Amino acid sequence: MSQQPDAAELDQLRAKADRLAAQLAEENKMASIGRLLASIVHEVNSPIGSILSNNQVVLRSLELMKSCLASGDAASLAKAKKLVETCLSLTAIDKIACERISDVVRGLKTFVRPDSSELSKVNLNEQLQDTLKLTQGEFRQRITVETDFGEIPLVECHANMLNQVFLNILVNAGQAIEGEGRITVRTRLEGGSVHISIGDTGHGIKPEDRPKVLAGGFTTKPVGVGTGLGLALSKKIVEEIHGGSLSFESEVGVGTTFHIVVPVEQATKAAG
Amino acid sequence: MGTIEKASVLIVDDEEMVITSVRAYLELETNFEVHGFTEPEQAVKHLENNLVDIAVSDYLMPRMSGIQFLTRAKQIQPEASRVLLTGHADKQSAIQAINDVGLYQYVEKPWENEQLLMIMQNGIERAQLLRELREKVSELSTAHSSLKDVQKRLLRAFL
Repeated sequence: MSQQPDAAELDQLRAKADRLAAQLAEENKMASIGRLLASIVHEVNSPIGSILSNNQVVLRSLELMKSCLASGDAASLAKAKKLVETCLSLTAIDKIACERISDVVRGLKTFVRPDSSELSKVNLNEQLQDTLKLTQGEFRQRITVETDFGEIPLVECHANMLNQVFLNILVNAGQAIEGEGRITVRTRLEGGSVHISIGDTGHGIKPEDRPKVLAGGFTTKPVGVGTGLGLALSKKIVEEIHGGSLSFESEVGVGTTFHIVVPVEQATKAAG
Repeated sequence: MGTIEKASVLIVDDEEMVITSVRAYLELETNFEVHGFTEPEQAVKHLENNLVDIAVSDYLMPRMSGIQFLTRAKQIQPEASRVLLTGHADKQSAIQAINDVGLYQYVEKPWENEQLLMIMQNGIERAQLLRELREKVSELSTAHSSLKDVQKRLLRAFL
């Protein structure tokens, strides 16, 4: 006769399962952060390389110009003019390089705010734009991102949590697209909620996998890359914490679109 | 022959700003002929039609990786030196490629201009020496065959 676990054992098992789930969630978050950091380092490496190099060339050019202007003959003046042109074009590039780096830093700021339990009213269009900046490194040249931002009011929410959801779905979308493709981000006000859709032209989700996608523990990514928790957590954030909904539609070989619906106001205030 | 020919340099990076910066530095400090391409396919075409002393390529590029490009470069102009520009994350792949691709050196981004220049100068010298060696061997071989030819005729004349 098999022994049934008693209530105390069940509680212990449940507690253990919760701890493991939390651990996996943390690992998933660290893995996401790792991937994100790698893409940010790559994004920032080239502009920094250019700025360092240009700085050195401009300094050297200024020294040469100084001696050219000191000698004053026609050949030296002609050389000085040419050096000025070089410095002008390199400085213009430096501006672009600096802007690229500050874009990434600005995008990072959305993730630096501590996980506060306080709600804040934010413009989700701006949040999406900032989060998109973090994907620029991975997407640029390979994936075209189209945005269609509707008129939406400020939304009362945990902004950094929603940004994690957006980033998770965007990264998944990028990974679903092999080679070149397109990601479309659209926002609309629908009644008392904001509807955000993120669509990709990736390989799509097979019908037999669809029920598993949001359930947790499912991943098509290689071992160590995906822990299958990103979307389950995203669903928790959107549905349990914000009272919204997270759903998707997909067609194999065509693409997938995720729909995030978040109420504009949270019903946390006492009635009356 | 003691004169060093004017060096021809090929730079491939999907980032235009990297090419512009390296070109500006090289034009200031050297008399290298610099050819820059953001599209690896166009760089391949250049290699098919122009002699190059050194090819420097970025690793992470959208349509063709630096390793794939340098492998093609090796097939088309084996004597040209091959240098890979890598970000820290892809350093391991670069090290593995040293043997497969016959990499002369790899340089980590962000690069230091002086270090890059020194590597390029050495790489160019290597390529030009290899080419000169091949030409000399070819000349020797031709001279050797014509000597053997003369030898044959002499022997025939006396036998």
